[in-house]
Amino acid sequence: MTVRLAPEGGIVLDGVCPVNDAEPLQQLLLKHPDAWVDWRGCEQAHTAVLQVLIAAKPKICGPTRSAFLQKWILPILGR
Amino acid sequence: VTEFLEQFLIEGRELVQQTTEDLLALEEAPQDQAPLDSVFRGFHTLKGLAGIVEFPAMSRVLHAAEGSLSAVRSGNQAITAEAITDYLACLDQVSQWLDELEREDRLPEVQDSTANALAALFEESSPDISPAAMAAPATAQPNWIEPLLAVHPEQRGAARVAVRYRPDRDCFFRAEDPLALIAALPGLLTLELTPNEPWPSLDALDPFACNLSMTALSSGTFDDVTECLRSATGQFDIHALAPARPVTGRPALSPEALAVLEDQLLLAREETGQGFAGRLGSAGQVSVNVLRHAGWADAAEALRHVLAEGLRMGQAAPFAECLQKLISEPLPASDTEIDGPSLPRSDEIAVRALRVEVERIDAMVRLVGELTVLKNSLGHATRLARDGINTVALGALLTEQHVRLDRLVQELQRSLLGIRILPMRYVFRRFPRLVREMAGELGKSIRLVIEGEATEADKAVVEGLSEPLLHVLRNAVGHGVETAEKRAAAGKSPTATIWLRAARMGERIIVEVEDDGAGIDTAKVRAVAAARGIAVPEAIAAMSEEEISRLIFAPGLSTAASVSEVSGRGVGMDAVRSAVERFGGHVEVASRPDGGTRVRFEMPIAVIMSRVLTLEAGSQIFGVPLENVVETARLAREQIIRIGATQAVVLRDRTIPVVNLANALGLPGAGAQAGQANVVITSTAGQLAGLQVDRFGEQLDVMLRPMDGLLAGLRGIAGTTLLGDGRVLIVLDMEELLQ
Repeated sequence: MTVRLAPEGGIVLDGVCPVNDAEPLQQLLLKHPDAWVDWRGCEQAHTAVLQVLIAAKPKICGPTRSAFLQKWILPILGR
Repeated sequence: VTEFLEQFLIEGRELVQQTTEDLLALEEAPQDQAPLDSVFRGFHTLKGLAGIVEFPAMSRVLHAAEGSLSAVRSGNQAITAEAITDYLACLDQVSQWLDELEREDRLPEVQDSTANALAALFEESSPDISPAAMAAPATAQPNWIEPLLAVHPEQRGAARVAVRYRPDRDCFFRAEDPLALIAALPGLLTLELTPNEPWPSLDALDPFACNLSMTALSSGTFDDVTECLRSATGQFDIHALAPARPVTGRPALSPEALAVLEDQLLLAREETGQGFAGRLGSAGQVSVNVLRHAGWADAAEALRHVLAEGLRMGQAAPFAECLQKLISEPLPASDTEIDGPSLPRSDEIAVRALRVEVERIDAMVRLVGELTVLKNSLGHATRLARDGINTVALGALLTEQHVRLDRLVQELQRSLLGIRILPMRYVFRRFPRLVREMAGELGKSIRLVIEGEATEADKAVVEGLSEPLLHVLRNAVGHGVETAEKRAAAGKSPTATIWLRAARMGERIIVEVEDDGAGIDTAKVRAVAAARGIAVPEAIAAMSEEEISRLIFAPGLSTAASVSEVSGRGVGMDAVRSAVERFGGHVEVASRPDGGTRVRFEMPIAVIMSRVLTLEAGSQIFGVPLENVVETARLAREQIIRIGATQAVVLRDRTIPVVNLANALGLPGAGAQAGQANVVITSTAGQLAGLQVDRFGEQLDVMLRPMDGLLAGLRGIAGTTLLGDGRVLIVLDMEELLQ
């Protein structure tokens, strides 16, 4: 899985996150509303996944490997 | 050029000029309907002309401008300073095309891209859809673009395409990834994501329904962006924005930077000697730093090389020359750019075609008719002479005919010269635009007030004034008027005023350029005059402020001291003075510290016909312009007194210097006769002087021909004319003669 709960409690996004990651991400965020999302290993994420992040606005642990996410999505998540 | 194109040229030029004036009037009063209507009509008529001569590029551009103006007229669009600049740029382009047509004798071949780029200035905001504009992606700028640009003002220059993309709600099921498409956009500048509906709480969010809309700005081309989004579904708008304004050349040097550079130049030009290398080295380093700071990196680099070379060779000249060139460099050639606020070139000032009222032509036709009658009666007189009529009767007949001929020729001359009479408006009308642009370049706020533009003078005088006035106006804008901050500090209104006035005084026309700026920096003039060796330091120190002001007309003073982007075009005030004096005019300057500067031109209304008084001296005949003659006096020889090397006469309690004309011209004098001396009292630039001659002649109207060829450089001579008996009459230039 490219989306998983880390042993320390953070939610990790890894590699290329496909559309199917959106629902598990949503469920994890619902279960752990205060969890960090660690996207340092994320290379790309589907719009559906990002939409969940945008709606939930979790705390982010970065930077990501994707310049696009870092430059354009991170500022939106911070708002 | 066919007659058709000839007409197109004349009318096109007039329309461009008129519309330019209307645009400036519109900028003054944006709420006024009249100038707006007039501008619209101007563009419309120009477009019509372009259609008639089949000039599609011009039609295309004018059509776009007209469409945008029509939106302004219907109240859908506000008129802004930028819009005025765009319309002016459009007219500039038309003007250039007209010039090219005149030069090349055929319609210019215009690249589609040129016309499209210019048209795009208007089409972004034009709701009008033309067949040509249809090819462009879109015409009306939708209302979401401006807010987007407003949020990212820094991208306004670079953005070429704006994208708004609202993917379908179910797009995820079609394996679409909208943000991946956006991420792949070429030249992405900004990205905004907004929810279509407010975000629900996380548990209510449907992760497989797309709730996002995206707006983005890109610096990529319209085609590339479109290609990139080809596979997307949903609603999307892609809009080409007006092209980014090309950056032309280097940024202008600030006055402060220029002042520093000028000082370095002076330093570098000092005589070599002790401390030379150190002085040159530091002057050079300062200059390089200033240039670099001003964003002239390439120039700084070039100068650094020249400096290093100069230091190695122990020579300052190459460095000084290079620096001089840099600071007197004209504006980058911007008039080929669509938005280049090109200054009207001087050759444009010349009036190419005259519109003459029918009445004037009719009057001349009538005069020619009378001349024909006279010619016939002269034929009759010759027959009488051949048949041996007595000479007294023939003499009476010829005298009568001569009087008639004299009257007719005079009338004909008057009518012809009347045709050449133009109002000053022909020159003045170019200046509001010019001042607007120069002020804009320098970031100054300046109001130009024009008075007396209907004052008339001969075409040659009116045109002859245009170059000097241009120069003086440039000086006023560049040096006379302070920046808004300095003005505020001096307690003045932040908007400066420059007055341009014309008035007629008798046979002279007075034209003044006055500003309410800082006045002439006499301390600087003193320093520069001393540095350039215009006069010895003691003399400069002894000069009054007024005399120092007048020094700006001295040759060699003005060029480098007044170099800047706006005013430095290599013409000094000395050139202004000589240009004016060529027409028998003169120029003076008055300046008050912090109160402003006034330059006053005084010119004859007509230059062609001059009334002269003929004189004889050293058995030669000379003419003196009657305007210089105050009176003729027959004096007892004893009245002329010798004062040192000069002579003078006391006339009505005034001591007037007297020059013996024959001696002054190196001619054999008539010898020291006892008895009476003939003296012409002349007035030149307010100074009285006497001219001692052998004999007074008569008053004549002459067509003065200026000296040309080898004789052009002769001083003291205004020109020549042929006398009735074939002798050449040399007309003296009193001002030069008495210097």
